[in-house]
Amino acid sequence: MTEAPVVAEVAAASQAPVEAAPVEVPWRHRHLLDLDVLTWPDIERVLVTADAMTEVLARPIAKVPALRGISVTILFYEASTRTRVSFEVAAKNLSADVVNIAAASSSVTKGESLVDTVRTIEALGARMLVMRHDRSGAPYLAAEVFGGSVLNGGDGWHAHPTQGLLDLYTMRAHLPGGSVAGRKVVILGDILHSRVARSNVWSLTAAGADLWLCGPSTLLRGFEAWAARGAAAGRRFQVTSDVDAALRDADVVMALRIQRERMTGGLLPSLREYAARYGLTRERLALARPEAIVMHPGPMNEGVEIAPDVATDPRSVITDQVTNGVAIRMALLYLLAGTLPGRHEPGGAAGR
Amino acid sequence: MTATRPPVALAGGLERGAVVAELDIGGAWLVDPASGRSGPGDVVVRDGIVTAVAWLEGEEAAGIDDRGVIVAPGFIDIHAHLREPGDEDSETVASGLAAAAHGGYTTVCTMANTDPALDEPAVLARIRDAATASGSPVALLAHGAVSAGRAGEQLAALGELADAGVVGFSDDGAPVRPALLRNALAYAGTLGLPILEHAEDPTLTTGAEANEGYVATVLGLRGWPVAGEAAAVSAAIAVLADVVADVPTARLHVTHVSTGAAIERIRAARAAGLPVSCDVTPHHLAMTDEWVAGARRWAWEAVDGDGDRDPWADRALVAPPFDPACRVNPPLRRPTDAAACRAALRDGLAIAIATDHAPHHEVKKAVEFGLAATGIDGLETALGVTLAMVDAGELTLARAIEALTVGPASFLGLRLGRRVGLLEGEPADLVVFDRRASWRVDGDSLASRSRNTPLLGRELPGVVLATIAGGRLAYAAPDEG
Amino acid sequence: MTGRRIMTADEIRRAVVRVSHEIVEKHAGTDGLVLVGIQRRGVPLARRLAAAIREHEGAAIPVGALDITFYRDDLSLVAQQPVVKGTDIPFPIDGRTIVLVDDVLYTGRTIRAAMDALVDFGRPEAIRLAVLVDRGHRELPIRADHVGKNVPTSREEIVRVSVEEIDGEDAVTIERVEASVAEPVA
Repeated sequence: MTEAPVVAEVAAASQAPVEAAPVEVPWRHRHLLDLDVLTWPDIERVLVTADAMTEVLARPIAKVPALRGISVTILFYEASTRTRVSFEVAAKNLSADVVNIAAASSSVTKGESLVDTVRTIEALGARMLVMRHDRSGAPYLAAEVFGGSVLNGGDGWHAHPTQGLLDLYTMRAHLPGGSVAGRKVVILGDILHSRVARSNVWSLTAAGADLWLCGPSTLLRGFEAWAARGAAAGRRFQVTSDVDAALRDADVVMALRIQRERMTGGLLPSLREYAARYGLTRERLALARPEAIVMHPGPMNEGVEIAPDVATDPRSVITDQVTNGVAIRMALLYLLAGTLPGRHEPGGAAGR
Repeated sequence: MTATRPPVALAGGLERGAVVAELDIGGAWLVDPASGRSGPGDVVVRDGIVTAVAWLEGEEAAGIDDRGVIVAPGFIDIHAHLREPGDEDSETVASGLAAAAHGGYTTVCTMANTDPALDEPAVLARIRDAATASGSPVALLAHGAVSAGRAGEQLAALGELADAGVVGFSDDGAPVRPALLRNALAYAGTLGLPILEHAEDPTLTTGAEANEGYVATVLGLRGWPVAGEAAAVSAAIAVLADVVADVPTARLHVTHVSTGAAIERIRAARAAGLPVSCDVTPHHLAMTDEWVAGARRWAWEAVDGDGDRDPWADRALVAPPFDPACRVNPPLRRPTDAAACRAALRDGLAIAIATDHAPHHEVKKAVEFGLAATGIDGLETALGVTLAMVDAGELTLARAIEALTVGPASFLGLRLGRRVGLLEGEPADLVVFDRRASWRVDGDSLASRSRNTPLLGRELPGVVLATIAGGRLAYAAPDEG
Repeated sequence: MTGRRIMTADEIRRAVVRVSHEIVEKHAGTDGLVLVGIQRRGVPLARRLAAAIREHEGAAIPVGALDITFYRDDLSLVAQQPVVKGTDIPFPIDGRTIVLVDDVLYTGRTIRAAMDALVDFGRPEAIRLAVLVDRGHRELPIRADHVGKNVPTSREEIVRVSVEEIDGEDAVTIERVEASVAEPVA
């Protein structure tokens, strides 16, 4: 089953006023693999649900039984503690049964194929699969063979949909008026290898932000062409290697980690040079608006893409991103679980 | 398949491989690129020989057009991978020849990247034995490897392979480094055989997954840049220019060329008088990197004036993205590159359509996109894709048939061992297909052992009714009596 | 769908006043009493009850709002169900007597979910239930302590409560619908 990405609706709806009103649009996505298939009403639905989850997280017992009896398997092929744990916490807060597999320690390293691993996990009772993989497109393969719902926790350079949504959620929580429409958002760093950047392009252009991608030209390869087409499709964004122009009057500055392990060499002279020319220092941050917020998906290389005193600056909302990540992931697990076949109460429609 | 008209009457109960005792084709559209003639006509075959080819005029010709049953010389593929020996799960010589016959092909040239590689006569003998054992009348020719073991270090036994009857040399699957290519062109030139070069600069394509461009950027796939092909073509042409000074009979053939940049370099080299030629694959003519994102529209539907259309903006994505069936080397390119391939085919720079039939067992494709084996299974879908181009006005029927028959024949020259055409007095070597009918590409209809084509599930125009090779029946559609 | 009005605005007002007296009478006072309205329409009803109690007892009773969406036992309704950021219980409930307030009592599953939710907030001394309309057809052993109006219904009918705070007017109507249409859920 395939989902055609939605562009026109998203572009048209991004001017819609944003309110925390109850959302009536049914959620129809069985999987969440990328943000390109979400309409603006879908995105709003996630954000409103995340608000409800935020309230749950503030309770003395931060738990609801919504996913009770549902087995969620978290399968991470890439090393990651924070995101893997964030998903586990989210699933447990919904009372799901959680199995957390760090693939390096499993039979995967003995050469078992992804398809076989997914089939085994399903045979063991998993109804939902949260997956992170180092190859772009891997979750689509999983979705072809898995009978339940697949939630992409990051695939190669391609997508990190929960990050894109939690970034949007965090921005709206801190920007005046609760909206990113018309606000200047700058993503600074290794754009080429970043699934966080790509997912943020989809979510922020849908939300009508004035998005800028900035980094050394070798790490922006191909994005100028995307930006040019985006303009034609109503999904406008800018690409530049001029860090001063990018930061000037920005409302949101997001720094991306220079991902050492993904660079196959020859793309940058050195990290020292990167830090000097593109690092987010206090001086550079001064080009942005005084009340601009600073974000980072983590983990940070302090002193490289972000100066230590900027990371701990009062304008930094990096820890909020972590908290919001749990709420967004709870929201998505909840919405996806609603599409699982067979979750019916005997006797039909729920009554009072 | 829609009901066929009376035109084709095949004396009944003929087994595959048997000599065609009696075949009468009355009132079909004949295409004979050898004489340059197309039109309504009759063909009569007796005991495997074409006894009559009659062109109809006036009243007899009324109502017969080029949209119904068509008779053409049997197709010739100068580039296919039959996988035997070494990967028989994906294809064998027998299944490959069956696939060829189903696709209308009467001659297939297999590539050397078998296991062991086709780098010495013993391997060639093994492959020929398999062809004989299959009982298929489809002619199997072979390219020898350029380097021993296809390792790219030393030359393979080029002379011995030439004596054993290979029709060319290629390390296809991999490029030949310029220094070795130089020697190979010279040596093969004196043997009168061409080098079919897979043009790729491996230093530019390390880890590449898909064409470097808009789609790869959005999907986060490692790019295979145009320069990877263009630079390799430039280097090969430069080497050729040096070699022809000593060996005027040297010949370079760039197989599966996929980019406008490479095509322009070949065009300039030809204009300068260098002995270089090229072929294009059906998938590079008709599919694009949009397909990796989930589009399934033909390449000519994805261009807009001189530019590529945007599949996201056009809502053209109808299949899941990252389908490993779309992973091929060289990769599916931008719509404008596919347009350049079609232009090269139209004006004759590309002398042939060559399938680069690359079957892969499901196990090799049901993996992450970047780990999937590269290649598209193409012998049986080549005609359908070509007819889709003709239907869309991208190619004339006459040029299409040329590119499938006399074009490849001219490349093979004398080594083909026969004349190509609808020729009275010669053994029948022809294909009969119904352009009004269509068929669905799926597991049931494909004769190949493998199913790795993004066309799976699609209806293609043109149903092959019969394929006759060397006077014997290679394939007959099930309804035939 | 046209409905038959079974409670007018005045009848609702009188019922609210009567129930507010009953609540205080049953509790023998107002100490330790809290009201928790179930989203959506239970919330304005809870506020009205609190206002009535303040008027005749002079005491301000805490009022909270409870969204039981995450406690429902039928996830397949998630797709149609609007999510409201609606749980707000800004006071401790340990040792208190909570009166849950809802507009319609039907199968009892909503109240079961509400009790599950409350137990996560603390340990009340007692939980009671006040509803505007009890329409019968219980599927769980749940009963209301205070009822505005008992309305016998059939399963093919829907009871709709409108409140001015949300719908612009006060009314209770009963409508006959096709069996396939789900009862509107708060």
